[in-house]
Order: sequence, then C-alpha cells, then structure tokens
Amino acid sequence: MAERSVIPFGPQHPVLPEPVHLDLVCEDETVVEAVPSIGFVHRGLEKLVEQKDFKQYVYIAERVCGICSFGHGMGYCQAVEHVMNIEVPPRANYLRTIWMEMSRVHSHLLWLGLLADALGFESLFMQSWRLREKILDQFDEMTGGRVIFSVNCIGGVLKDLSDEQLKTLLKVIDEIEAELKPILRTFLQDYTVASRLRGLGVLSPDDAIAQGAVGPMLRASGVSYDARMTGYAAYGDLEMEPIISKDGDSYARCEVRLKELLQSFDLIRQAVAKIPAGPIAVPVKGNPNGEYFNRIEQPRGEAFYYVKGNGTKFLDRFRLRTPTTSNIPPMVSMLKGCQLADVPLLILTIDPCISCTER
Amino acid sequence: MSKSKLFPFMPTALKNLFSKPATTAYPFEPATYPERMRGHVEIEIEKCISCGLCARSCPPTALTVDRAAGTWTINRFDCVQCGSCVNVCPKKCLHIVPGYATPGPQKKSETFTRPTPPSKADGKVGLQTGGHPVNDHDKCVYCTLCARKCPQGAITVDRAAKTWTLDKEACVSCGLCASSCPKKCLTMKED
Repeated sequence: MAERSVIPFGPQHPVLPEPVHLDLVCEDETVVEAVPSIGFVHRGLEKLVEQKDFKQYVYIAERVCGICSFGHGMGYCQAVEHVMNIEVPPRANYLRTIWMEMSRVHSHLLWLGLLADALGFESLFMQSWRLREKILDQFDEMTGGRVIFSVNCIGGVLKDLSDEQLKTLLKVIDEIEAELKPILRTFLQDYTVASRLRGLGVLSPDDAIAQGAVGPMLRASGVSYDARMTGYAAYGDLEMEPIISKDGDSYARCEVRLKELLQSFDLIRQAVAKIPAGPIAVPVKGNPNGEYFNRIEQPRGEAFYYVKGNGTKFLDRFRLRTPTTSNIPPMVSMLKGCQLADVPLLILTIDPCISCTER
Repeated sequence: MSKSKLFPFMPTALKNLFSKPATTAYPFEPATYPERMRGHVEIEIEKCISCGLCARSCPPTALTVDRAAGTWTINRFDCVQCGSCVNVCPKKCLHIVPGYATPGPQKKSETFTRPTPPSKADGKVGLQTGGHPVNDHDKCVYCTLCARKCPQGAITVDRAAKTWTLDKEACVSCGLCASSCPKKCLTMKED
C-alpha cells in the first residue's frame, strides 16, 4: 500500500471563488478521503434578525449571497407572508418569477464560465460571462442593481415593469439564446470538454437521494425533482418539467444546467405573455406571529427558509438552509477515489456557494 | 447525446478575433447609467420634516436625524444603496439617483440642515413635530384622514364606534396627522 499523505486544499485556491477548506488524504495521486471544513466567511446574518425589524431584514436576507440574492429575498418574504396571511398580488408573483428565472440564467452562465475556466478553456469562459453581462444590464435597467436588486418587500415587490421593459427583456432573451447556441454546442459536443467531464464523479440516483443532493446535482443523477413544481409564486400557472439526465457524472451536471438555461428562457417568455395587470404590493399591518418553513428552488438547488415570529417587529429566529450545505456530503463521497487533478473540477460541479452556506 | 466533435468553438473564436471588444474604454468613454440605477441617496432638505423614519428603517444605520437641530446626516461609506429610506419617506423628499458616491481616503459623513421653519420667520403655522398627537374628541369627526396619512399605520379610527386610538410605540412624531386634520383637532404634545 502506498504511503498516505494529507494535502491541504483551500481556502485560498485559484479554482475556488469562495473559501472552503478540504484535507485531502491521498495515496499517490488518488484521493482516499476528503475532510471538508467551513467557517471562513461566517457573518452571523441569521442572528441579525433579532436586531433588525422584519421589514428591514429583507435587505439583509438578499445580501446573504451575491449570486442567489433575489431568491433569498423572495424566500424570506414568502415565509413571512405565510405567517402573516398576506396574499401577494398576482402581478407581483409574476414579476418575482421573471426575476427569479433571470437570476437562474445569470447564475448558470456564471457557473458555465467558471467550469470553462477550470478546464483551461479561457475563451469559452469569456463568452459565457459576456452573455451574463447582458442579463446583468437588464437587471440594472429593471431594478437599479446588477446583483443586489432590493425589489422584494413583504407583501409584494417595490418596482413594476412597463410593457416596454418587458418587450426589451424578450428581445434580450432572444439575443442571448441565439448567442448561447455555439457555447451550448461546445460544452456538449467538444471532444476535449467531454473527455474531461465524462465519467467523472458519478453519483447514482440512490446515493444522490441518500446523501441529500439537491438541485441540478440531484436531477443530473436522474431524479426528477424540482421545488418549482410545488407551484409557489407564479410557477403554478406556467408549464414546466424538471430537466433530468441519466449519467450522474460531471458531464450530466453540465448538461442539466445548460438545458435549464433554455428552460428559464421558456419560463420567462411564458410569464411575460401571461403577466396580469394590477397592483404590485399590498400594505402590511401588524407583526408576524407564528412560524413557517418555506422552500424554493434556487439556481443551485432547493433552499429552506424558516421564520418564527413572536408578535413583535423582531423575529425570534430565521434559519436558512442553502443548497450548497446539502450538496457538500455528496461532493465528499464523489471525491473519494478520484485523481488529485480532478478535485478542483469536482468541487466546481456542485456549484458551491460558500457565502450562502456560512451566512 | 450527439457525438463529440473537434473544434466546435472555432467559428466563435474566429468571429471574436475580428470583432470589436465587448468592453468599453472607460474612463475615456463615459459610463452610462440606467435611469433606475441605485447610485446614491439625495435629499431635498427643505421638504424634510425630521420624522426620522429613514434613520429607523436604514439597515446599516448610515443615517442620523437630529430633530432639535433639524439636521439629516448620511455616512455615505456605510450606505448600501438599498433604497429603504426612500421607500419609507412620508414626504418623498429622499431620492436614490444614478451615479456612484465619490470615493475618499477617509470615512466622512455629510450633514444637511433644514432651513428655518416658516412658523418662526413669519408667524405662519408650520408642521408641528415632536411628542405624540392628542385628539380633541369633541371636535373630531372621525374622517380617518389622519390614519391614512400616518406613515407608520399607528392611528386606528373606527367611524362606527367613534373611536380614535394611537399606537404610541409605532408613532414617530412626524406630525403628518396633525397637519392633515381638517378640523384641527389633533395637536402634537410632549408626554
């Protein structure tokens, strides 16, 4: 048996956009065990709910993460709205859905860029991020922010979209879809990309369920589960089927995310076609009293939002379980037996968001 | 799944080689900001009534309102441009406008002082602020205007039962109720 050695990986590593540390126990070039440790960017945002009132906290909830910011704001608002029995106007629900899907597009394009970068495919990385800029510009036009939108509020949304803006959005979506085609073709058909991703980090459907994988990780293993199917916001009115792939390897995870981009374009088009006129928010009176568990499908997977109110303007507890938290155990099991050179790529395929995880 | 190919990215790579850069040559070309961009907060200090709602709602506590001195202070380095203050301002005197705040070597605050209220200058009755509203039930017609004007929803008026109740904890002493009362039956009084 070869001698075992422990290689520290992270928190500072060229492939990691955010800090996570892994102790990789290796036998020669093969990883036999990976021990993750987190806690490098903990900011105590959950505790802050005791000091900021429940309306102010919307702005803090969306600052949990720079990529899934809209989803965090929306998940928190929905949870508080359930506690307070507030019915959100239909137009606000549609606007939330449109922004949520746009967030998914920008998150997946960011991930594709990072993947291309990890593969050493610089120009593909640049192309993915160039497309992402178009979505960010649209966010800037619609909400006033590129990544932190501050448009959610308890009872609805703060900003409306004119017909003109919705038309521009559709035009931009068409442009992105047309420009995405060569990128999609490259990821799915390029010989080098395929040889780097195929058969790497295979996760069987049973393992994926047993180890708690969520989002594209779970769907890439062939499990048809998507929290959007529960029909929150306006998803109940829109037609969609979870995107799945059978292989469960890194290639399948890439494929699921690519196809989800196309699905998001479709959902945005459906939402724009069906969006009703009307108010965008309802006035909120009183304070939340009670508790609720809300779940939504973030770009990285299913996220949980728990709120507990005590009848005052300060909540007793806010708990957020992010998709990356659930995806770390399957990642650790995937790392066992892989080559040391594949570790960065495998970590990347779960689309880790450590800032979310540590809050 | 379709078969693997060699060089499927080649047409895109060649196109990019001969096309214009996707980036702009800032600072030689000026940056353009969209209309809704949340750049920095501005105040129309002459409209401000020092109610302090903005400071209470500010998540990073970047705002300070001194009612006695009539000042509104913003620490631009703490401000996160969330727009919370703009959303709660009852007088709509706060605006979030495009363009970033100026960078600087030191964290400084900017203070704006309200001009002297007209009540002192020419004897006219200005907006009464401070304390809490007290209702003269003999004069009150329970029209609910005060309750509708209250930015905090602190006043509840029941027209049928002829009751007027104030939630003192929620009241921010802005005086908007007193100024909107058609019967002049509300007066702002210190406890």
